[in-house]
Amino acid sequence: MIGSWIAVFLTLAIFSYLYKDNPFYKVAEHLFVGISTGYWTSMFFWTQIQPNLFGRLWPASQYNPDSIWYKFYNLLGIFSSVFPDGGINKGHHMDLLYLLPFALGIMMLLSVSSKLSWMARWGIAYTVGMAAGLRAYGFLNSNVLGQIKGSAFQIFNSDLPFFALASESIFNNFIILIGTITGLMYFYFSREHTGNFGKLSKLGIYFLMVSFGASFGFAVMGRVSLLIGRFVDLIAYAGPAYNHATLWLLLVMVLLLGYSAFSDKNNTSENESTLE
Amino acid sequence: MDKISDFILRAEKIDRRWIFLIIGLAVLLPLFFPLGLPIRATIATQKVYDAIEALEDNSKVLVSFEYGPSTKPEIHPMAIGLLKHLFTNGHKVYVTCLWPDGLFMADEALTEVAEEEFNLTYGEDYVILGFRPGNEAVVKGMVSNIRKLFTTDVRGTLVDDIPLMKNINKVADFDFIFSASAGYPGTIEWVQYASDPTGVPLSTGTTSIMVNDIMPMVNSGQVQGILAGMPGAAEYEALIGSPGIGTSGMDAQSIAHLVIVLFIIFGNIAYFIEVQRSKKY
Repeated sequence: MIGSWIAVFLTLAIFSYLYKDNPFYKVAEHLFVGISTGYWTSMFFWTQIQPNLFGRLWPASQYNPDSIWYKFYNLLGIFSSVFPDGGINKGHHMDLLYLLPFALGIMMLLSVSSKLSWMARWGIAYTVGMAAGLRAYGFLNSNVLGQIKGSAFQIFNSDLPFFALASESIFNNFIILIGTITGLMYFYFSREHTGNFGKLSKLGIYFLMVSFGASFGFAVMGRVSLLIGRFVDLIAYAGPAYNHATLWLLLVMVLLLGYSAFSDKNNTSENESTLE
Repeated sequence: MDKISDFILRAEKIDRRWIFLIIGLAVLLPLFFPLGLPIRATIATQKVYDAIEALEDNSKVLVSFEYGPSTKPEIHPMAIGLLKHLFTNGHKVYVTCLWPDGLFMADEALTEVAEEEFNLTYGEDYVILGFRPGNEAVVKGMVSNIRKLFTTDVRGTLVDDIPLMKNINKVADFDFIFSASAGYPGTIEWVQYASDPTGVPLSTGTTSIMVNDIMPMVNSGQVQGILAGMPGAAEYEALIGSPGIGTSGMDAQSIAHLVIVLFIIFGNIAYFIEVQRSKKY
């Protein structure tokens, strides 16, 4: 019940920005930023750092209270929810290689210190290097080779009809091929866009404009869908099961915003008359 | 004629809040008074349906939830529809999340469909492996060894103790992948690091705004169809014969689009009148 009232308040508070910037919107905005940050931090810690990092450094399966390593672990036992008695049981075996990402992670946090911020570069360098290497392969394989294959070879597919209005056909695949080539020509800047080359690159612009138009249309469709989603919830929360939360909160917010607008108008007229 | 032109030019300068109000009413009124406009499946949606229908009985399907509350109205209806289709055809469902809030979406969808509607058993018919941070590195890790990445499921049960996880060690052990995606990491990462390298077929349901990015992959055959936003969900609900949230929102969607198109036409007419007048004087 309380949750539904909070949901309605926050939804209406965000919608109130359509009227003008106001304290309801500010409250909702700040709550969103703060809660998101807290939620993500907590989620990352409990799904990755605690089970997959600490769980590999101090696994329950190799717990030995006499070893120095686990004596140190037991000292951390004051945070018993993170470091429970007897080691962390998440199905891992000990892997001290994970001390390396642990150290790099701590080094990244040192960016807050002006003297030690240089250490953060090591962690960032590792992340950038790893991500670049990982992505290069994926993009080359799927976005370059896969797309070239899909764009070029399908025009020779004899199983397809020559023409179809909406479904796959040789004609439609030919249009895709022309669009791809002329679109790429538009982004070729080593030659002046004049003559036949200029005409083809201009054709590429038309293809790009159609693509941008489609993107805009899809964006509008997406936003309307989200609006529908919020309205469906607001309608549900307007029912007696939720004590008409939507109606009450809408009424209170409209009255307060109306009063605020009325006061602002009066203050403005008073200031103007004082200046005169 | 001049009077009409003057009216159009005056109307162009109205407070934008009136436009917000009109759009709001265009969305709200059809929700109260449904029109029942027809819904026909597009080829992209039909491809997803056909790909699921083509799966053999008892297939192992990996469903990845990569969306949160902010995109729930678009993706959640299709996730519900897909789960209904999979369970009706007797497939086993394995759920992972590349987004932290995807976990809540997965839990909500499976409670509604697997527990309440189909009365299925957790760990035998479906399992939620949970969320792992790391974006595409998680997908890459699952392609190599799922058990290294997920030692426990979302309920804390060791993966080795879950009956459904028997003989599941890597992505190649699945028969099909479905990515319910609202952005990065999502469908593109599943194509790049899982489906293309392993050959496991993949379908997707995405937000409308992502459709243009994914459609080339559908055309090239890298993705087996796409459910495009709320309309995609409504079309899928029509195909499986189970109308849901997607279907109920389509009247509002259509009317809102019509109003927006009218505004665009109106704005362009006003623009051309202005250009003509500036040339004249």
